[in-house]
Amino acid sequence: MNPASINIFWLLLPLAGAISLVYAASRHESWKRIWWHAARLSMTILGLMAATTFLLLLLHSRG
Amino acid sequence: MSRQSIPLKNPYLAAFLAWLVPGLGHFYQGRRGKGVLYFVCILGLFVAGLTMGGGKIVFWRWVSPFQNFEDFRLWYLAQFWVGLAAFPAVIQSTLARYGMSPILGGYLAEPALHVLNGMHRQYGRFIDIGTVYTAIAGLLNVLAIYDAFEGPALADEPDPSTSPEPAKPASLVLEPST
Repeated sequence: MNPASINIFWLLLPLAGAISLVYAASRHESWKRIWWHAARLSMTILGLMAATTFLLLLLHSRG
Repeated sequence: MSRQSIPLKNPYLAAFLAWLVPGLGHFYQGRRGKGVLYFVCILGLFVAGLTMGGGKIVFWRWVSPFQNFEDFRLWYLAQFWVGLAAFPAVIQSTLARYGMSPILGGYLAEPALHVLNGMHRQYGRFIDIGTVYTAIAGLLNVLAIYDAFEGPALADEPDPSTSPEPAKPASLVLEPST
């Protein structure tokens, strides 16, 4: 597989996942809370990025 | 779990070990699960980023940012915090400064100018993404080092399902017992 053919958006998933897990682990000691916090944070990060992409595409299509 | 029940042992040594190898400080403290999590997430991100840039995006140059900001390796200030995996860049740069050959097979040595100039043609956008990956890995290890030194930022409340008493307000749980 040619690495250049990978959609750049897929590379955000491990980044958001790692950031969320490390941040959540630095806040809590309980695994239940770490997983829950990491899941919420990664969804928030990806949701915000998706919303930003959508907004910018919308502005671009109207410009 | 209250803050007092977390075995931080010698926090200075734990913080140093956490810098040296992500997660090692937590292993020293007996917090092995967290140690594995930090090791996998931080070193995984660093190795993935380094691979994306063909191993040539993490290096250091001994130049003053006030005299030559163009050549100053700003990204390395973040990458440095990954620890032992990124530290050879400082050794390689020091050796180059004194006219000596690189060691460790040239791992994290500054690439030659013609190699640097050809990198964008060879790796394209992966250079930028790899640089971001490695820099974020370093910054995430700062969080892990802080966790090894100080313990988690929030003291967790006891799980209500395992406690016979009703859950207390967080502020009461956070109070250290003397």
